[in-house]
Amino acid sequence: MAYLSLSNVSKQFGDSYAVQDFNLDVEKGEFISFLGPSGCGKTTTLRMVAGFEVPTNGTITLDGGNITYKAPNQRNMGMIFQSYALFPNMTVGQNIGFGLRVRKAGKSEIADRVKEMVSLVNLEKHVDKYPYQLSGGQQQRVALARALAIRPDVLLLDEPLSALDAKIRVSLRAQIRDIQRRLGITAIFVTHDQEEALSISDRIVVMYEGNVEQVGTPFDIYNFPQTQFVANFVGSLNTAVAEVKDREKGLLSVDGVQFASAAKMDGLQKGDKVRIAIRPERFSFASEVKKANVVDCQIENITFLGSVVRVHILIGNSKFTMDTFNYPSLALPKIGAEEQVTCSREAVLILGPAEG
Amino acid sequence: MNISPRTAQVVMKASASTAKDQIRNRFWSWVIFVGGALYFLIPLAATFYWSLRAKKDVLGFEAYRKLFADSNFLPSFSESIVNAITAIFISLLIIVPTAYWVMLRLPRLRPVIEFITLLPFVIPAVVLVFGLIRLYSRPPLLFTATYGSSRVLLVCVYAALSFPYMFRAVDNGLRAMDVRSLTEAAQSLGANWSTILLRVIFPNLRVALLSGALLTFAIVIGELTIALYMAQHTLGPYMAELTRSKVYEPSAMAIVAFAITWAAMGIIQLIGRGQAGQIAGGR
Repeated sequence: MAYLSLSNVSKQFGDSYAVQDFNLDVEKGEFISFLGPSGCGKTTTLRMVAGFEVPTNGTITLDGGNITYKAPNQRNMGMIFQSYALFPNMTVGQNIGFGLRVRKAGKSEIADRVKEMVSLVNLEKHVDKYPYQLSGGQQQRVALARALAIRPDVLLLDEPLSALDAKIRVSLRAQIRDIQRRLGITAIFVTHDQEEALSISDRIVVMYEGNVEQVGTPFDIYNFPQTQFVANFVGSLNTAVAEVKDREKGLLSVDGVQFASAAKMDGLQKGDKVRIAIRPERFSFASEVKKANVVDCQIENITFLGSVVRVHILIGNSKFTMDTFNYPSLALPKIGAEEQVTCSREAVLILGPAEG
Repeated sequence: MNISPRTAQVVMKASASTAKDQIRNRFWSWVIFVGGALYFLIPLAATFYWSLRAKKDVLGFEAYRKLFADSNFLPSFSESIVNAITAIFISLLIIVPTAYWVMLRLPRLRPVIEFITLLPFVIPAVVLVFGLIRLYSRPPLLFTATYGSSRVLLVCVYAALSFPYMFRAVDNGLRAMDVRSLTEAAQSLGANWSTILLRVIFPNLRVALLSGALLTFAIVIGELTIALYMAQHTLGPYMAELTRSKVYEPSAMAIVAFAITWAAMGIIQLIGRGQAGQIAGGR
């Protein structure tokens, strides 16, 4: 039986559903991310787990016990907020010890735990400072220490890195993951940042308009998106309308240019229009290595993105992008040149029937 | 970079005219400031000067000595202080949980609550006191039968009079912090409502509560109309009586009342200065 389980959980506000029939089983010690755009229901779901929202339907169980209607202060869940939510009138030490003081723990126990937690988040020198005397990253580390000090059953993180600058965000997310692994604590992390979710999670729940689009490991979510939304939302993606030419051989045609795909074509007939997707990094120049698909293209533009070079190409009348690593001996074609690019059969995904 | 003489001339003219404007603006600011200050300070200085002339041809504090020596002064003064402090506590107990709950759970009710708290501003004191006497002078709500019960009613009215100041002060204080996140953070750490209010909300509203409380104090301490009609022996009626029977002591009393009010304002400033950064930075 799963440690934390959400079964058919829905939340209705007025006439509209913020979350609909949400099902998820989380194992103990797992790091799960809820990923999706604003308004997809990820924070509402997290708040239902925390107890700040009561589900309209469904059940939430933790370690076998039903917690659906339990008050938030009786759930033993540590929560971290985007705005840090540190108590301004308390020092770092007092903030971290707050949960234990509420639980009427002994003074020595509180002191020991505060010491342990500040050392865990490397804030030993700041224990007597007030929140306003700390940087954003330090404040969020205090919030993490405060949430962990109560030894929560589940750690809930509501976009905790969104208010921080890029460098601190990257280092703090690594620190959060490291601490979570060391303590073996179950964590649910809400984010709209796909890179954050891909880098930190054991599994990702991609949500859209209150529904779960796909649940899977970062590898599966990125490489094998099951819906068009997931394919578009996670990573960069080339999409184009293709015509089914030969279902058995997996052959498709984009503006008269033939592509072979390894995707299943059950239910499709010759002549059906489908939307295909190819990740930019799955293309390479055919002069290097030839894969199953070798197609003619015209170079439209070249953009340097640091470690990656993005090449904009025209295949038939459809525009695609190709990402290639930037290395000193890289020989790039000229803009306007005719070239051949290649990609494997597996790189050509079918997202479903082409709408319109 | 080369700048043509013509461009330099234009730039110099523009900066000279900006400097002239600044001097002109500063001059008029000072004129307005001095005018305003004189408008307030001349009557105050005149009152103070008058209060020092109790002894013929000698300036001294005779009026103040007589005032403090008057057997009615200290009882009425202390009664007003007790009334004010009790009214502040009643007001705090009503306003803080109400404003907190409205902000957290019932934001749509905020305009309604704001309107209700503004009523003491709209209803004149004379109308209010006659309404109260009519309502509370017969059973089962007989509050005017004894001096003590009238005093209870008076304190409750003072608490209501403080609502416009107290609600605004508390509301501003709550808006200056992320009430929802702080509440939820405390809840997730196991705190119940009373713990949240006492350990998280109240301490962070310290400045707001003090300003509300001291404004209430300043208003209640010299309140005349309601206390007079309820036959209470507080500072307001005492001052009115003094004006009718004495010459210099009322001026001395006015200066003492003024000093108390300004001392209250000074305390707000002093305490507020210490905490503003802490609350702003904690957000």
